[in-house]
Amino acid sequence: MSQEAIGKERWGVGAELPSLAKMLSQEKIDRYARASGDFNPIHVDPAFAAQTPFGGTIAHGMLLLAYLSEMLTAAFGQAWLSGGRLKVRFKGAARSGETVAISGHVQRVQEGHERRRLWCEVGCLNQQGEVLVAGQAEVKL
Amino acid sequence: MNKAIEALEKGHQFSATPFVLDEEAVARYVEAVEDESLPRLAQAEGKAWVPPMAVAALALRSLMEEMTLPAGAIHGSQEFEFLRAVEAGERVACRAWLAHRSQRAGWWILAVEMEGADDSGQPVLTGRLTVMVPR
Repeated sequence: MSQEAIGKERWGVGAELPSLAKMLSQEKIDRYARASGDFNPIHVDPAFAAQTPFGGTIAHGMLLLAYLSEMLTAAFGQAWLSGGRLKVRFKGAARSGETVAISGHVQRVQEGHERRRLWCEVGCLNQQGEVLVAGQAEVKL
Repeated sequence: MNKAIEALEKGHQFSATPFVLDEEAVARYVEAVEDESLPRLAQAEGKAWVPPMAVAALALRSLMEEMTLPAGAIHGSQEFEFLRAVEAGERVACRAWLAHRSQRAGWWILAVEMEGADDSGQPVLTGRLTVMVPR
């Protein structure tokens, strides 16, 4: 059986994607700000962020999405890079010092003529189990 | 000219500002997000793939050259479709427009839709960003 066929067999409804855990620190948030060019003070200025309802700096939403994308790349490889779709809502803020858990599972499978289409529920939770990001990813295998 | 996003009218078209995904910028991004999957895939396939979210992040940055998000702005939702894998060294131009603008409970609700295309004009990604800005 080809690697592609093995990959297709693997992803049935309920299959878990390879989860990740990432520890967030101010250094990592600052590094992401430099890489992305997003220097919003809510992310990089602790004195400013302390005066906001968050009470401190928070990670960029796009950094959390990068973690989701890492998981989806690990799961689906090239199929994620070419044809992947992601639709998420930001429901909470990830604070510096927290560890976030990235996970997902296959929610629905549609067999096509040549390709199989998968919808996955994906999310990011903090260590208190609060949902920070929730949404759906779609790939064609 | 750089304008506050909430001052833009619905339908506003942002300038398509090209950016190059050079190896240095990609390496800086991969290090920042600690992505272990993409380098493995790139090595296995012998290609200098760019993480799709790096293309998205740099596309958003290109928009920020024309608009400002106030400090209290909140990222509400995000959608992306990655149409093809992008390699380091490619140039992408991001076309974007303000697709939605409304007010609710002391907030502006704004949505920007975008399309990033390569040098031949073929789209490599599309996206929609929703932000809430305090009024």
